[in-house]
Amino acid sequence: MSSVARIALNHVFMRFDGPTVGSPGNQVLSDVSLALADGEFVCLLGSSGCGKSTILNLLAGFDKPDQGELLLDGRPIDAPGPERGMVFQQPTLFPWLSVRDNVTFGPRMAGQSAERYQADADRFLRLVGLQDFASHFPWQLSGGMRQRAALARAWLPNPEILLMDEPFGALDAQTRLAMQELLTRIWQTTRTTILFVTHDVDEALFLADRVLIMSASPGRIREELQVPFERPRSLEDLVADPAYGQLKRRILHVVREEAAKSLNSVAA
Amino acid sequence: MTLSQGLANTQARPEPVRVDHRWRRWKHPTISCGAVTLFLVIWQLSGSLHWVDALLLPPPSEILATAGELLSSGYRQTPLWEHFAISTARALTAFVAAIASGVPIGLCMGLSPTLAAGLNPFVQFLRPLPKIALIPLVIVWFGIGEGAKFFLIFISSFLSIVVGSAAAVLGVSQARLRAAQTLGANRRQLFTHVVLPNALPELFTSVRLSIGIGWTSLIAAEMVAANSGLGWMVINAGSYLRTDVVLLGIVLLGLTGYFFDWVLVRLQRRWVPWTGKDA
Repeated sequence: MSSVARIALNHVFMRFDGPTVGSPGNQVLSDVSLALADGEFVCLLGSSGCGKSTILNLLAGFDKPDQGELLLDGRPIDAPGPERGMVFQQPTLFPWLSVRDNVTFGPRMAGQSAERYQADADRFLRLVGLQDFASHFPWQLSGGMRQRAALARAWLPNPEILLMDEPFGALDAQTRLAMQELLTRIWQTTRTTILFVTHDVDEALFLADRVLIMSASPGRIREELQVPFERPRSLEDLVADPAYGQLKRRILHVVREEAAKSLNSVAA
Repeated sequence: MTLSQGLANTQARPEPVRVDHRWRRWKHPTISCGAVTLFLVIWQLSGSLHWVDALLLPPPSEILATAGELLSSGYRQTPLWEHFAISTARALTAFVAAIASGVPIGLCMGLSPTLAAGLNPFVQFLRPLPKIALIPLVIVWFGIGEGAKFFLIFISSFLSIVVGSAAAVLGVSQARLRAAQTLGANRRQLFTHVVLPNALPELFTSVRLSIGIGWTSLIAAEMVAANSGLGWMVINAGSYLRTDVVLLGIVLLGLTGYFFDWVLVRLQRRWVPWTGKDA
């Protein structure tokens, strides 16, 4: 970890109110600290409800923590901003705009002239394989293509960090694989810092430099693992590597323990 | 699987099935036309075969003859087209004024809960009120000229446009707003680039409904001491038992309302093609 992290959470606590006034509520995050170095690809792995999306919402600036510090390049985060791009589980494209206008939404909001962003837009449309669909509308595209447009839209403004909230969770298995390869390929050319939330162990091991495993209720970072595999990675080679199996086994063990814990706490 | 194969998979769009493409396109219009024709034939037979007294229900042929007569010699010294034009002009002026004032006020109410809290009691009290109840007051306030008729049509469409526009603003999803925020949109841009386009389909729907309501109150408006207009013609002819003129007026009122809605649907398809589409 470098001396000034690109993005950091320091001792963050967060509680959601219960359904009625005076009910106990839910401690979503308890003393969570994490830091990402510049250019790092980190996966946040955990079961549903462990607070991993809450961490992204805090970093995006949608929510404020009860306690603790959120820093981007050492500066506190207090509102959403274009230097922190986000890709959501749903594409959330704007159906009234063409694919090109969706992708260039960021620079257009910043008041940039078309000449300045057009070359970048063409480059990103090519990178995500949508160059022939630039004038289509989102509702004319398949689910995978929409998510690729969303990826290009978040990436085009060249953010300091990309926050990804299970962006491939709603896609079928084949499309998901293709998207994972696409994502790492673009990342290797741009080296944008990425914090990627997922509950899929294989996805985390394929994508990340480092995996953070979360535990649920209260949410905290339970374990941290370096992913040693060289890039570019291919899923076939990874599966054949005995180290991959060991790493996956170790993570599955932790994830299963956490799942059992949260089931018990629900039952109790 | 390689990258290109994966991308090819996601790009594969199912080809549209070509089975009876034309029939599928014309199926519903054909059924509609068939139903109307059948209805007209039975209606005509009811008169031609004397099932019903022609005074109670004049058949289409008689209404057509009446239309020809009124076109050439007019009803009560006023040509038929003038009755039609006067009613349409009254309604259109009121619609334009209602849309031009109701949409901005409704949008502001949707954006500002404070403003909504201040205006809602009045809007919600007046909106369901039968506008006929206002006629005596309207005559006292505006006299029996065009002002009274304008006001009655205006107020009934205006109130539903306000309510519809306010609801349309609130229909924007948090996810879309958040996506725009992470792309750097400020508050003003969130409104002009997300909330407004997002509200347009619902705005169109509420304008369509309101124009229907406004057209309905045309009769109420023309009950206010008018001497021209389709609504007046229907009421006046009724008191002389001219059921053929009454039915002709009803048919014209209905067709005009239908036409207004048809124009709006075409505009909606053209200007808001994303209606009902998710992305």
